[in-house]
Amino acid sequence: MLRLEHLRKTYGSLVAVDDVSLEVRKGEVFGLLGPNGAGKSTTIGMCVGLVSPDSGSVEIGGVGAPTTDAVRRHLGVAPQALAIYDDLTGAENLSLFGRLYGLGGRDLSDRVHRALDLVGLMPRASDRAGKYSGGMKRRLNLAAALVHDPPLLLLDEPTAGVDPQSRNNILDTVRDLARAGRTIIYTTHYMEEAQRLCDRVGIIDKGRLLCVGVVDDLVRAHGGKSVVRVERAGKHERVETDDPLREIATVLAHVGPDGPATGVHIERPDLESVFLSLTGRSLRD
Amino acid sequence: MGVLADIRATFAIAWTDVRLLLRDRAAAFFTFVFPIIFAMFFGFMFGGGGGERGKIEIAVVQLDQGPAATAFIEDLKKTGEISVKMVPTAEEAEAMVRKGEVIASIVLPSTFQKDFDNLLSTGKGPKLEGFVDPSRKAEAGLLEGRLNELAFRTMGKSFSDPAKMKQNLAKVKESIAKASDIDNSRKILLGAALQNMDSILDDNQKQAAAGKSDALSDPMANFRPVQVDLKELTRKRVGPTNSFEVSLPQGIVWGLMGCVTAFVSTLAHDRQRGTLVRLLSAPVSRWQVVGGKALAGFISCMLVQWVLIGLFAAVFNVKLTNPPMLLIATLASAFAFVGVMMFLSVIGRSGEGSAGFGRSVILVMAMIGGGTIPIFFMPKFMQTVSSASPFKWAVLAIEGALWRGFTPAEMMYPLLVLCGIGVVGFVLGVMMFRRAMKT
Ligand SMILES: Nc1ncnc2c1ncn2[C@@H]1O[C@H](COP(=O)(O)OP(=O)(O)OP(=O)(O)O)[C@@H](O)[C@H]1O
Ligand SMILES: [Mg+2]
Repeated sequence: MLRLEHLRKTYGSLVAVDDVSLEVRKGEVFGLLGPNGAGKSTTIGMCVGLVSPDSGSVEIGGVGAPTTDAVRRHLGVAPQALAIYDDLTGAENLSLFGRLYGLGGRDLSDRVHRALDLVGLMPRASDRAGKYSGGMKRRLNLAAALVHDPPLLLLDEPTAGVDPQSRNNILDTVRDLARAGRTIIYTTHYMEEAQRLCDRVGIIDKGRLLCVGVVDDLVRAHGGKSVVRVERAGKHERVETDDPLREIATVLAHVGPDGPATGVHIERPDLESVFLSLTGRSLRD
Repeated sequence: MGVLADIRATFAIAWTDVRLLLRDRAAAFFTFVFPIIFAMFFGFMFGGGGGERGKIEIAVVQLDQGPAATAFIEDLKKTGEISVKMVPTAEEAEAMVRKGEVIASIVLPSTFQKDFDNLLSTGKGPKLEGFVDPSRKAEAGLLEGRLNELAFRTMGKSFSDPAKMKQNLAKVKESIAKASDIDNSRKILLGAALQNMDSILDDNQKQAAAGKSDALSDPMANFRPVQVDLKELTRKRVGPTNSFEVSLPQGIVWGLMGCVTAFVSTLAHDRQRGTLVRLLSAPVSRWQVVGGKALAGFISCMLVQWVLIGLFAAVFNVKLTNPPMLLIATLASAFAFVGVMMFLSVIGRSGEGSAGFGRSVILVMAMIGGGTIPIFFMPKFMQTVSSASPFKWAVLAIEGALWRGFTPAEMMYPLLVLCGIGVVGFVLGVMMFRRAMKT
């Protein structure tokens, strides 16, 4: 559905995206996970034809590069920076974007309604977007990407700065879209989201794609061992293991000089640990 | 996709921007409400509907320095309702009529004295030529009457010197006697008439001695001592007749300014907020985005101009003498200001920076371009300076169609300047827009 080959983009001496190759399959939710400044938005920009790569190529669904209108019609973009007009109502915003993608007439108003419904903004459809809460604006921003029902959606941090209620709505919407067969690229720096939502994840840092794969595989390959923390008479022990359940059984069976264990806690490796092991840094800083 | 979808997308962008302008309270106020208030205020300040009618101002050219001409002008100056401006050449006098400085021009020909002396023998008095402002026909009629009356009086003076008159008559008799192209029967008739005249003069001489001097006016009631030939200027109207016709273009200046400012801000906002980028990532060409924005600016400029014109026509009796011309003038000024808009929108690197800069530039332009003081009230050098402002040309075109009565040829100049401003602004704007949007 989307194939990136040796994409590279520099701004002066800064390499924003460095030799990124990637294939996203039809119908999958692909997460692009990385810290601030990793090059996620730049990659998305190249995918939609807004940013022209220095080298490399982007190909959409076998139709070509996103530089022509015909190809762009297959794409829906929700930019990281909110791209909605505060002085237009929710419905008017969506009508505008629908028209930009060639919709009109009844078809347009039907799709506007459907998109508003999908993101749960129907009750506020005729309020100006400027009066929406931050989360509602995010949802409208998402709706603007899918009003023309494109097969490929590029969502750049669609949950940035959003309350839990809107976040859940957005994640549900994305899952519904995936179930309906849309291909989705989803960038985030929240590894929980990537883990919850994405079929496959690519981890990007400083413009380089460090690894790509199913979350479990990545964790198994790069996450390291699980950690079992044991509390015994106010003291903490830390045990690294490949098989945390067996380790716990052993710990509980063993009564040492300080008596039996009073608490046990498993820390499984996750994408955070994958990132840590690949970069030596935490995703959060 | 088809052309239809492309047009729909372009209009969607344009319609968005127009709505943004109308919904932004501050922008809408400065674009629509403020100019109306401003123009109304100045309209009332300049004297309201109709304007005050003072003296009939005329330009007089004296090409004959003889006593008759001088006396005639002296009399003219003495009348209460005519104010005389002496001008050296007929061309200058005509120009003054065109500019609306005087309502008519009159040339006393170099043959004035001779024609006057030969009045009786030729039957034709001196011919006064000149031009009159067609919009002031009533005054022109009054003027013509006045001129004849004065000529009578001037003539009366020579008649009141019967000795001189008798001398004239003798000259006439002599010339009739000598004339070969007049048959004898006529000569006899004329001779009899002249004899009568002679006796009238004798009577007159006696009456004058008795203190009654106006007996003359009766027998000559239908006699026209001067031929007044006032040509109407080719223009339909010269000079505003209603002070709101002066303040309306001023209001339009402020309306256009509000419009441009609002659009520069909208575009700046668009650049900052990422909506512009979003538009550009849609399957529309950059031309459509730029075109949509330009179209929005154009629609708004037209809207503000015609809201003002309509209101002033309806409420303040501003007459639309030439609506097609006015339409062309407003189209041209809308076009010019779209160019200005495009240019100012992209001049700065950052959105907000360009908006601030744009606002100050446009304010200065509006002020020197006739927004504060009508240009024709400005001192000469300021009028020159104001040529640098697109507003001046918009005002000139609109006034040209409104009350300057420009001919199509005269209209061409401001229209071409406006179109030039539009094209240059648009080209520069698009070039810089493309560069600013390069990623
Ligand atoms: N237009 C630009 N001009 C110069 N540098 C840029 C531009 N756009 C991005 N960059 C730089 O490229 C790098 C990658 O930026 P990008 O926006 O792709 O990161 P990101 O992964 O989306 O980060 P975030 O999570 O903060 O959104 C950053 O160092 C950024 O400063
Ligand atoms: Mg980003």
